[in-house]
Amino acid sequence: MSTAQVANLSAEAVTIEERTPFQIVMKRFRRHRLAMISLVVMLGMFLITILAPVIAPFEIQELSVNDYFIKWGSVDQATGRIHYMGTDNIGRDYFSRLVYAGRISLTVAILSTIISELIGIIVGAVSGFFGGWIDAILMRFVEFMLTIPTLPLLLIISSMLLRNDELLPIPDPVLKFMGNILLLSPRDSRNAVLIVMVLAGFGWLSAAQLMRGTVLSLREQTFVEASRSLGASNFRIIMRDMLPNAMAPIIVDASLNLAGYVVGEAALAFLGFGIQDPVPTWGNMLAASQQFMLDKPWLPLIPGLPIFVCSLAFNYIGDGLRDALDPRLKL
Amino acid sequence: MTAYFIRRILQMILVIFISAVATYALLNLAPGGPLAGLRQVQQTGRVKITEDDIARIRAYFELDLYLPVRFTRWLAGWPTGPVTIGNKAYLSDMVVGCRKPVETEILNDQGKYESVITGCKELVYMKDLEGRRSSRGIFRGDFGLSWRILRDRPVSDLIVSRLPKTLQLIGLETLLSLLIGIPLGVYSAVRQYSKFDYIFTSLAFMGSAMPTFFFGIVMILLFSIIPKGAGWPFLPAGLSESVRGYTIPVIGAVVAGSVKDRLLHLVLPVAVLTLVNIAGYSRFVRASMLEVMKQDYVRTARAKGLSETAVILKHAFRNALIPFITIVVFTSPGLFSGAIITESIFSWPGMGRLYLLALGDNDYPVAMAIFFILAVLTVIATLIRDILYTVVDPRIRLS
Repeated sequence: MSTAQVANLSAEAVTIEERTPFQIVMKRFRRHRLAMISLVVMLGMFLITILAPVIAPFEIQELSVNDYFIKWGSVDQATGRIHYMGTDNIGRDYFSRLVYAGRISLTVAILSTIISELIGIIVGAVSGFFGGWIDAILMRFVEFMLTIPTLPLLLIISSMLLRNDELLPIPDPVLKFMGNILLLSPRDSRNAVLIVMVLAGFGWLSAAQLMRGTVLSLREQTFVEASRSLGASNFRIIMRDMLPNAMAPIIVDASLNLAGYVVGEAALAFLGFGIQDPVPTWGNMLAASQQFMLDKPWLPLIPGLPIFVCSLAFNYIGDGLRDALDPRLKL
Repeated sequence: MTAYFIRRILQMILVIFISAVATYALLNLAPGGPLAGLRQVQQTGRVKITEDDIARIRAYFELDLYLPVRFTRWLAGWPTGPVTIGNKAYLSDMVVGCRKPVETEILNDQGKYESVITGCKELVYMKDLEGRRSSRGIFRGDFGLSWRILRDRPVSDLIVSRLPKTLQLIGLETLLSLLIGIPLGVYSAVRQYSKFDYIFTSLAFMGSAMPTFFFGIVMILLFSIIPKGAGWPFLPAGLSESVRGYTIPVIGAVVAGSVKDRLLHLVLPVAVLTLVNIAGYSRFVRASMLEVMKQDYVRTARAKGLSETAVILKHAFRNALIPFITIVVFTSPGLFSGAIITESIFSWPGMGRLYLLALGDNDYPVAMAIFFILAVLTVIATLIRDILYTVVDPRIRLS
């Protein structure tokens, strides 16, 4: 290779445009076609549920008297609004309930994810950073939680909490906040708050283990030592030096958790231990459709498909993110 | 090694004990139970129930004892009366409960009246426990009496009657999903990037994202309701055997309760559980096969001139099974969670449905017993998994 060629090469090498880490990840993520499709589908779903009051022609508890199970596309005589998917067994508009149910199910899943990842990050960071008896106690607790059978315990806890108001009083501001998001009265949103607490209460374990692992592996690194010698506080070291390194696995964990919570919330509601009937969720609509399935075989598919689509989409997004965030892969 | 086992077993006992205390307390803190119905009867005023009646019923269900005393009686069948050492009885005047609590109506901050227990008219002493019927403790297989589902019958009777049904489901499911899932995973790994592998991995991915309850309903639609409506051969869905005889096109008449009837009822729930499980198992086997196929010893085996079958089955597959075995052992108690949902869709009279029924009906002794058995099984499975790790992979040392 002559000197001229080498000079040419280096000139080319310099002219490769610089990209931020975000751009690199996005470029990798875009190559996972199913994950991209899933992302678009989920964004569409979010948009529909955010615009629920605009899109849904009816209120969730509005009854069309005597119009039970009317056909899709029927027009309401008095107001001229259309029942896009007909009505349910007591004359409530199916489409409107489905949209609001999506709003409730997705909100519950997102809030549970945020809370459980936050708890996981804090517990994992404290446990890994301080070590010693704090670590021992916290990790024994995590192991303990992982050994007890989850679904049976979830069922016990939610059946207790849902039926007995006084067992766990929830502050009014929290109920009002939830009610504002879900467009429900504070009283009706109590169940949703409880389900978020129950799901998040069991979901933080994996995030805690991930965060602890990262912190442990970074604790003795030179850049952490450098940070400390510059006088950085423990909090600053955790936030600025360690958290960014743990973000990749935690983001993947979060997207898989989202899928798990959508299914988990629906499963609890389906079994009758989740959000209860006047408040619609995909899970309890599916459970309700079960008894009419003999005459109307397509009925369970309407609330069931969104649950499946969400679960699949979040799983694909998680899969795509895992590939995109993997530092071992080169572009 | 011995020290490790002793430590692990002590840990196991602690985990089981803590989860038992926590769930027992949670279940018993909540109002409801056998007295809830009585209170309503009393409120309507047609039947007069005296204070003594309530006290008697409370004593019958041990509700008059304080929670810790009730718990130890449930757990170990103790105390059954004063402690006698020599000929002298100790602790006979210790207060262990309250026979007739005083309830006062109090105005709460929301402006409603609620009854709060403010005192006790008549206490229960340790000496009163003597001669009282008591559970022998769960360690001797006595889980107490059912409150609602089969009132006054031992919980263990209920569980024993439901257990075979769940074992049928879980046993068949495990067997089938292993028999189908492992070969599928291996084949898919061997033919990586082939059309089969591509279709299979996408299906398995969808399968593991599919919620069991929705899948179950879709299966009922596809194989029971729609074909039945169309006059094609269909599969019965719901319960474990039918009440009346029925006729299926092609297959012919089926007598209710016959072996044929029961087998037909098994097909759908087992299929649902199996398909969901296959998705998980085969994905895992595939990943672990791919990992192993990259190893040097597989290349060596090929270089020796062994046939491809021998390389895959003897060298790769056996090593790929190591992590898989531990996964199977660990997920085995989780099978029950799958059974809860599937049994509820198919109204299958097994333990999972009993558990839901018990929780929905406030029959806490039943719920508590099932949860306790499950917790024990899970903890034992965790231990077996850890032991298996060392058995199948000598590089791992327990310490």
